[in-house]
Amino acid sequence: MNFFTDILQVQREIPGIEPQILFEVFGIPVATSSFMIFFIILLFLVVGIIIRTTFTVYPTKFQVLFEELYGAMKDLVDEVTNDIRRSEAIFPMIGTIFLYLLVANIITLVPGLADITVNGNAIFATPTADFNTTLGLALGAVIIINIISVKEWGILAHLGKFIKIKPVVLGFKKSMGDGAMALVDMFVGVLDIVGEIAKIISLSIRLFANMYAGNILMIILMGAFAYVVPAIWYGMSLFVGALQAMVFSTLVAAYYMLAIKPSSEESETSPEEKKITTASVGTTDASVAEAA
Amino acid sequence: MEQEAAQMIGKGLLGLSMMGSGLGEGYLIGKALEAMGRNPDMAGTIFTRMLIGVALAESTALYAFALFFLI
Repeated sequence: MNFFTDILQVQREIPGIEPQILFEVFGIPVATSSFMIFFIILLFLVVGIIIRTTFTVYPTKFQVLFEELYGAMKDLVDEVTNDIRRSEAIFPMIGTIFLYLLVANIITLVPGLADITVNGNAIFATPTADFNTTLGLALGAVIIINIISVKEWGILAHLGKFIKIKPVVLGFKKSMGDGAMALVDMFVGVLDIVGEIAKIISLSIRLFANMYAGNILMIILMGAFAYVVPAIWYGMSLFVGALQAMVFSTLVAAYYMLAIKPSSEESETSPEEKKITTASVGTTDASVAEAA
Repeated sequence: MEQEAAQMIGKGLLGLSMMGSGLGEGYLIGKALEAMGRNPDMAGTIFTRMLIGVALAESTALYAFALFFLI
């Protein structure tokens, strides 16, 4: 009986929620997740240099893969922004987040990598299964979006999104009812500050919990029956990793669209519309003049 | 001992969150399939948006999962 359980089950410890410390550099603890972050950055650098140096007009299979990936990411961003100039402005950030999360989420699914250990800790642990990584990413993304908003609106108008004093003054000048409505709007605007913090929390916990749950379920499944069943969950993990990368980057793009001026399309179309209206007015005038 | 019992009850109650996320996902996928049936040309876009929605609905259950290990 014992023999069978040894063969059929792979027992592994369920990791805690706290980060695992690999080693210390000058008293600063280096966790597995930060080690993996730098590993992935190095990987990206090497791949980037390889693509850059072997770039040809007649693409190789390797190059076609990355061109397809680029096109798919571009379509994803275009779908959210609906504006080519906007998507070109934000694409470097969204694309980087997507690629980074894609690699980070699924790199430990490479068989054998999880068994390389130092001091009993696995080196190649999923970096996004550590809450510090996802919190850092979400915090950085939301801060950058706020900076973009300041650049777009100016610092006073950006603060005015949250503390809406100006509409209150204007509303009371107009009428009592409008003023009261603006006052309610002001309190809702203060709640938007909480909303900004909620963005960070929801972004980071969603990604972290998905990856952590995936890891733990994998360990439980391996402990129950180490054949066939984990293979299905492997496929699911690949899918979930890619999906979560997509969700994170799409949400950041959506927050970007909320932060910028929505009137970009209108300002483009309004002069044309004016021309059209003036032209139609002109023609009606002419036709009226002809009829007269 | 009593604290441990309370923790266990709390962990059990967290299982309820699965119900909400399951209901939400089922409703979402059903509606998406309905929309695809009505307009098969849009199936691709609806499918990607459905996946994003499903991931968002699933996250509530995963918040509970993270809480499960914190309790």
